[in-house]
Amino acid sequence: MLKLIISHEARQIARTGALWAILALLVGAIVFAAWSGGRSINRQVEGAQAAETFEDGLRNHMRKETEDYEAKVIAEGGEYQFASVRHSPGSGPPQGTNAGAVGAETSKYVTLPPTGLAALSVGQSDIQLNYLPVSMATTLDVTKNLELENPVNLATGSFDIAFVVIFLLPIFILAMSYDLLSSEKERGTLAMILAHPISIRELMASKIISRAAVLLTVVLGFGIIALLTVGTGLDTADTWVRFGLWMIATLLYSMFWFALAVLVNVYGKNSASNGTVLAGIWLILVVIVPQLVSMLATTIYPAPSRMELTIAAREAQTEAEKNFMAKLDEYYYDHLEFVPEGDEKAMDFLTLAQANNNSIEKAVRPLYDNFQAQLNKQEELVQRFQYVSPAIMMQLALNEVSGTSANRYEHFLNQVYVFHDDWKEYFGTKFLQRYPLKPADYEDFPAFSYEEEPFTAVMARLMPSLLGMLILFLSVVLVPFLALRNYQVAAR
Amino acid sequence: MITSIARKEFAEIVRDGRFKWTAAIMVLLLITAMMTGYQKYSASIRIQQAAQTGTNEQWLDQGDKNPHSAAHYGNYAFKPAGPLSYFDNGISNYTGTAVFMEAHKQNFAIGRPASDQSAIARFGDLSGATILQLLLPLFIIFLGFTAFSGERESGTLRQVMSMGVTNQQLLWGKALGIGVAVIIVVVPCVLIGALALSMAESIDHAEGVGTRLGLLSAAYLMYAGIFLFLTLAVSAWTKHARTTLMILVGFWAFTGFLAPKAASEISKFTEPTPAFGKWMADMRAHQIRGFDGVPPFVKFAQYTKELFKEYGVTSVGELPMYFVAVRLQKLEEYDYPVFDQHYSMIRDSYAAQRRVQDKVGIAAPTLPLRSISMALSGTDLIQHVKFMTDAETYRRNMVVKMNDYLSKASVHLNETYSSSNYMRADEEVFAIVPPFEFEPPELSAMIDEHRGNFVLLALWLAAAIGLALFAANRISLERS
Repeated sequence: MLKLIISHEARQIARTGALWAILALLVGAIVFAAWSGGRSINRQVEGAQAAETFEDGLRNHMRKETEDYEAKVIAEGGEYQFASVRHSPGSGPPQGTNAGAVGAETSKYVTLPPTGLAALSVGQSDIQLNYLPVSMATTLDVTKNLELENPVNLATGSFDIAFVVIFLLPIFILAMSYDLLSSEKERGTLAMILAHPISIRELMASKIISRAAVLLTVVLGFGIIALLTVGTGLDTADTWVRFGLWMIATLLYSMFWFALAVLVNVYGKNSASNGTVLAGIWLILVVIVPQLVSMLATTIYPAPSRMELTIAAREAQTEAEKNFMAKLDEYYYDHLEFVPEGDEKAMDFLTLAQANNNSIEKAVRPLYDNFQAQLNKQEELVQRFQYVSPAIMMQLALNEVSGTSANRYEHFLNQVYVFHDDWKEYFGTKFLQRYPLKPADYEDFPAFSYEEEPFTAVMARLMPSLLGMLILFLSVVLVPFLALRNYQVAAR
Repeated sequence: MITSIARKEFAEIVRDGRFKWTAAIMVLLLITAMMTGYQKYSASIRIQQAAQTGTNEQWLDQGDKNPHSAAHYGNYAFKPAGPLSYFDNGISNYTGTAVFMEAHKQNFAIGRPASDQSAIARFGDLSGATILQLLLPLFIIFLGFTAFSGERESGTLRQVMSMGVTNQQLLWGKALGIGVAVIIVVVPCVLIGALALSMAESIDHAEGVGTRLGLLSAAYLMYAGIFLFLTLAVSAWTKHARTTLMILVGFWAFTGFLAPKAASEISKFTEPTPAFGKWMADMRAHQIRGFDGVPPFVKFAQYTKELFKEYGVTSVGELPMYFVAVRLQKLEEYDYPVFDQHYSMIRDSYAAQRRVQDKVGIAAPTLPLRSISMALSGTDLIQHVKFMTDAETYRRNMVVKMNDYLSKASVHLNETYSSSNYMRADEEVFAIVPPFEFEPPELSAMIDEHRGNFVLLALWLAAAIGLALFAANRISLERS
């Protein structure tokens, strides 16, 4: 009987123009979203490559010069010497022999590679720069750059598959099921159907199943097509595990909205009133509540002012410059092994700059940590309040699954900080010792490779959102199915 | 007749429990949004002013040093919040708030608030503007979608028609009734907002706040009118109230959520902005090879020859200006056209993207309204671009002043052309660079820029009224 009803329902909805319109819109939206998400990620990858190629090119040029210089020294005899920093062409040893010039005036771009699903949920990846120039500059300088993007577009947000799933899919679900029972009741057919040997619960279930089957087949089917066209790393298990989680999240989220439609149908009045209630709930859950939670987070844990941070950093810089000699001595005190011979240390611009950077870094570090601390508190608050809206849970889950969350970025940043220290250490030491860099040393420069966070960490952050959606779905679906026994079948 | 229809419509709406609920939610949200917006606005103005004063003092108090080193030390420009940003925060979360102005480099604004916010900030700001742009239309739809189709379903439309009411009377009466119901909810909130503004401490830089508020009200009124008449049009056209609702909610979701994002993606495709890495690499390569293909050092060697010829000298020591400073300034200037070309490429792509998005406004009235609202609140791209341009003008002037001073004051150092032998300038010298001041774009220029958007809104309103009249005229006794 259930099968019969389902196939009847399926045939019936297949005959309404509305279904085809909705499906066409949905497919169109998914295709458009995959296209734009793919473009967004490609652009980032190309940007990273261009930047890296350029900076590596600068270093290779320096290396070439040291090779020529080395050949010349071998051919003509003499000592392989260290060049002081200069900014105009000149004779003598090339700049490539000066570790300070190489380490401070060229950067090593470090990249956070996108996961296979990055194109499906752009998440925060359009406001974080996924490739950072590491040099001997301060941490502030390393992290200050932003991806170029029209701020109007950033404020509007991406039209990615996450948007389609979070915003549009519920609208389509509700449009298909806001009048599940009410329309039959209004037409007077409900009583007739129920005269057959079928319970109202079975009827409801079959109506939902037929609709869900159609919609979810489309969403998941086109999800796979999207992954195959704009996803990357399709040969890795990681991508497919992530996609599996993506499907589970989408399934749970959709089931919640179907359940909500059932709930409103059971307690609601006529179709029009069901429609208003559902549209209102959509607006509240998908738009207003997330905005309220965001407002709450930034009001309770506001980020310290970037302007004040800037002023403080400058205060430290001025202080450092004023106590120039003293600071320089303090710096050498930390690095006794590097004290150069003679008095020239005071006049060495790069040494000064490095000493400056170090004191700025020391002064600013605690302030800077404050930002991350407040941001973490905001994230925690959002984690705790996510349960008030399935849209928040879904957004967090999809960013997590796609590797475009703030957490993964922080994981990346922490590795960048370590690498930045290595870089400064390597070039700083060689520079202060006035060690002339040889072509062979270019092989030993610190290298960066991003280490992906363990999957358990991703799961640990993901599980609360998935479980939250499951519980929300169960609690929404149970109520109407219990209450259906008292459903008023005939229109009053 | 119109008034009695309006009175009936109004009474019906106000008596409905759903009206009370939705109205209460709207009012509550509007007031919350305005209050938090105002609080953030006044805090940010305070911080910005303190920071700008602070950095100006730091510039003067940076300690005695070579003027060119002073230019390296540089100065900061801090962006003040737009005059009505507490109503519409616009793009403020996504633009930097501080520009470092230093020798040799043109910098982007840093310190973007969105970087210090959690991912759900991407759902948008709950501001007065958001509520009026997204909630208000839905509110109007809820109040009005049954106006004709509901009465048609219950059979009362036929009765009313048989009483000799003209179709137009019916339409205007209903529009008036619903309009008043909307106004009694929204206007008090707007008044509260205006009151908050009048209490604001630092609105001295806000040119023509009155004009801005007037134009904002006009734009939002038109926007509300568009939805009011569209609702009535669809309601008069459709047979069932639920169909009316489906169509209207669908349109609302399209214009409020789908169209802006789609427009933004389309504009990114047709008017692409280069990725940061690509752009930066291109610009630096361009700097190295020289704007016109002649590397800066080659160019400067030529310039030196000309300089020697001009002054009839044969060595640096005989020049009447400090050669090192001349060189610094020249190298600075060789970069100007490179910076101009690459930075304006970005700005131009943003402007072109906006024009594309404005065009989508033909299909979605939320887009022109959003543009107008941001512009009048001083939180749009034009405001930001002006800030960035002011900062760059300031930077160049600052560097020129310092290099010029050095060039005149250190002539005697030409003889001992060495970097370890340099002059030191003090606070008095640094004071020849005036403090940075941001000159917001002229209101009239802004209005000119958005003339097209105002026209679009007006056209939308006219079209909505036209549609409503057409649909209402279709109603006849037979077809009701």
